[in-house]
Amino acid sequence: MLRTVGVALVAGLTFAAPALAADAPAEIKIGTLYASSGRYASISMPVHYGLKLWVEQKNAEGGVYVKAFDKKIPIKLVAYDDQSNTATAATLYNQLITQDKVDLLVADSGSVLTAPAVAIARDHKMFLFDQTGTGASFFSKDNPYIALMADPVSTIWPKPVADFVSHDGPGLGIKKVAILYATNEFTGTQANAFRKFVKESGAPIEIVYDQGVPTETTNYTVIINNIANTNPDAVIHFGYAPNDIAFLRNVQDVGANFKMLFSIYAGLETELLEKNVGEKGLEHVFTYVPPQELKYSVNFGMNMDEYKAAWDKKYPDGKVEFGFNSVAGYTTALVIEKTLSVATSLDQLELRKATFSLSNQLQTLDGTFALDEMGGQIGELTPLGQLELGDHGHLKFISIYPHETATGKPVYPRP
Amino acid sequence: MPNAVKHVLFILVPLIAVFAVLPGLYQNHLLLFNFVTFLILAQGVNIIYGFTGYLPFGYVGFFGAGAYGFAVLVMHYQSPALVAVLAAGLVGVLLGLLLTPLLRLSGAYFAIANLAASLAVLHLVANPALEGITKGPYGVSLTGTFNPSHAYYAALVVLTLTVGGVVFLKNSSFGLALQAVREDSVSASMAGVNVVKMRIAAWLASALVAGLAGGIYAWYVSVFYPDNVFSGEFSIFAIVFALFGGVATISGPIIGVLILYGVYNLIGFTTPQYFQLIYGLLIMGLVLFLPAGLVSLATRRGWHVP
Repeated sequence: MLRTVGVALVAGLTFAAPALAADAPAEIKIGTLYASSGRYASISMPVHYGLKLWVEQKNAEGGVYVKAFDKKIPIKLVAYDDQSNTATAATLYNQLITQDKVDLLVADSGSVLTAPAVAIARDHKMFLFDQTGTGASFFSKDNPYIALMADPVSTIWPKPVADFVSHDGPGLGIKKVAILYATNEFTGTQANAFRKFVKESGAPIEIVYDQGVPTETTNYTVIINNIANTNPDAVIHFGYAPNDIAFLRNVQDVGANFKMLFSIYAGLETELLEKNVGEKGLEHVFTYVPPQELKYSVNFGMNMDEYKAAWDKKYPDGKVEFGFNSVAGYTTALVIEKTLSVATSLDQLELRKATFSLSNQLQTLDGTFALDEMGGQIGELTPLGQLELGDHGHLKFISIYPHETATGKPVYPRP
Repeated sequence: MPNAVKHVLFILVPLIAVFAVLPGLYQNHLLLFNFVTFLILAQGVNIIYGFTGYLPFGYVGFFGAGAYGFAVLVMHYQSPALVAVLAAGLVGVLLGLLLTPLLRLSGAYFAIANLAASLAVLHLVANPALEGITKGPYGVSLTGTFNPSHAYYAALVVLTLTVGGVVFLKNSSFGLALQAVREDSVSASMAGVNVVKMRIAAWLASALVAGLAGGIYAWYVSVFYPDNVFSGEFSIFAIVFALFGGVATISGPIIGVLILYGVYNLIGFTTPQYFQLIYGLLIMGLVLFLPAGLVSLATRRGWHVP
C-alpha cells in the first residue's frame, strides 16, 4: 500500500513539476498610472520613477521571484499617463484591468488620482497597491481590495506632532496653539487628526485659532496677522508645498516671530522650499523628518545610500527630484516584490493575504511596513524634527520626537 | 416624414442602440460610460451655447453640484440611487435658478462670471465647516449604492432625453425662437419672443442635464473628492467637443465627442508622450480652418446637417 502511494506521489510530482513551469506566465504584468503633466505631476513622477527603477533592476537580474511558480519571471510595467485628469485616470485604470489584464494594479500617486481606482479595483476584485493615496475614506472593513504602501494614512500621520505638543509642549511653555490648514483631503484630514489627538490627550492646551483656507491661497499676510493677534505659543500649518512656500515667505515679510512653526513640506520637499523660502526662513521650523534623513536599517531591498546611488546613476539629469516621493515609489516596489515571493498564487485575495502577512515584518528604507485591518498604513511614521543651520550654512534635520529617535533637543522658543 | 421623426430614427435611435450593445462587446465599461457622460455634457453645452450663445466656462459647477446632490441624499437619507439621481438634476436646476442673474451678462463677461460661480460652488462644497453635510474636502465614499451597470444604463436614459431635447429644439418654434434670440435679441423681442423666458428655459434645461450627469457619475465612481467632480476639464472637454463637431446641430456634438474623445483615448493608450502635441494641433487646426466645427465641411457645400 505504502509503495503504491509512494509511486503515485513520485509520478504526481514528476508530472506536476513541468505542468507548474508550463503554467508560469512569460511575464508578470504590473499596471500603473503616472501624471507627467498637470497639478499632480510633481508628486507623481518621482513615485513612478522609483517603481520604474526597481522594474529595470529586477529585469536585469532575470525577473522577480514568484513563489506561485517557484521561479524568476520578468516584469512588464504597463504604465499610462493620466495627465492629472481624474476622468482619464478612471478610464485608464479600467483599461489596465479589462484590456491589458494586468496581474497587479498599482495606483497613481496622491489621494485625488487614487480615488477613481478604489471603486474600480473593488468592482473588478483587483487588489489595489495604493502607493501614496492616504485618504481615510478609501479604507473600510467591507473593502478587502486595497492597502496603502508608502505613506501613513492621513488620520495618524500627524501623531508625532500632536504628541510632542501634548506631552512635551506644556513643559516648554506651549499652552496656546494655532492651526491653519488648506482645505483639501490630505491636509484637512491631518488638521482634523492633530486636533483630535491634542484634545484627547487631555493636555492643558488651548486651540486659539483654527482656520481652513482654500488650497489655492497664495497670500497669507492678513491670516498671519490674525494668528499673531491670538498670541499662540505654536503655529501648526498643514498645507501643500505651494501653501508652505507662500506661508513661510509671508511670515518673513510680515516679520512675525512665532515661537514654534510647523509645516509639512519643509521636511518632505526641503530642496524646493529652500529655493523659494531661503535657509533663514526655514531655520528652526518644525517639520516631518523624511526617511532619507533617518536611514532606517533594512531587512529587504536597498538601504537609503544604495538607493540614492542607484537613483543618481539611473537619472543623472536630476529632472525628477530624489526625495520623499521617490522613496515611496521604491517602497511600493519592495512590498510588491516581497508579496510575490510569499503569495502562493496570483489570485487577488491571496496577494492581499501575502501583503498583509508582511505587516510589522518588512523593514525597508521607508521604515517598518505596518497595516491596520482595513489596509491603512500605520507604520512608516515620520518623526517630528526641526531644521537647523549647520556649520556651512546648510540646513540639517534634528529629530525631536518621539524621544527614542531623537537626535537633539528642540529650539524653543524660536530665537 | 417629419424632420423630428427622421432625426430620432436616424440619429438618436442608432446612437443609443450602439451604446446599449457596446458593453457586451467591449470590456472597458468605464470608457464607454465616459463617452456617454461627455455626449450628455456636450449636448448640454449645445443647448445653452448653440441655441442661445452663452458660453458656460463653469458648466462643471452644475455637474459637481449634481454629484454632491446625489451623495448627500445617499449619505444622509439612504435614498435609492435613482431617486438621488433625480435629486441631482433638481440640484442642478436650483443652482441654475440661483445663477440666472448671470444671464444679464454676455460674451466673455458671462463666461468668466460662470467660471467664478463654479469655483464658488466648489469651495462651498469643500468647506470643512460643511463636513457634516458634504464631508467637506475629505471625500465621499458611496459604496452602498455602487452599481456600475445600472449607472451606465441610467446614463443612456439621460442621453436619450438630452438628445431628444436637442431634436425638439432643432425642430420646434421654441428652438427657432431661441436661435433668433441668439442672433439678435432686440429683433426677436420685437417679433414677440419673450427673450428672458427663453434664455432662462435653455439655461435651466442645460443645468438639469449637467446635474443629472453629475449624479450618475457619482453613482458610477462612488468614491470621489470635490476636486474630482468639479474638475475644470469637464467643462473644457464638453465645450471643445461640442465646438469641434459644430453647435446648434444635433449631430455636431455627437461627432465631436466620438472623434475627439476617441482620439484622446487612442493617444492616451498608445502614444501618451505626444498627447499634448497631437491634441493641440487638432484643436488649432479646427480653430483656424473650421471655426464652425466639422459639420461646416458639409454646410459649406450646401448640404443640410441635422
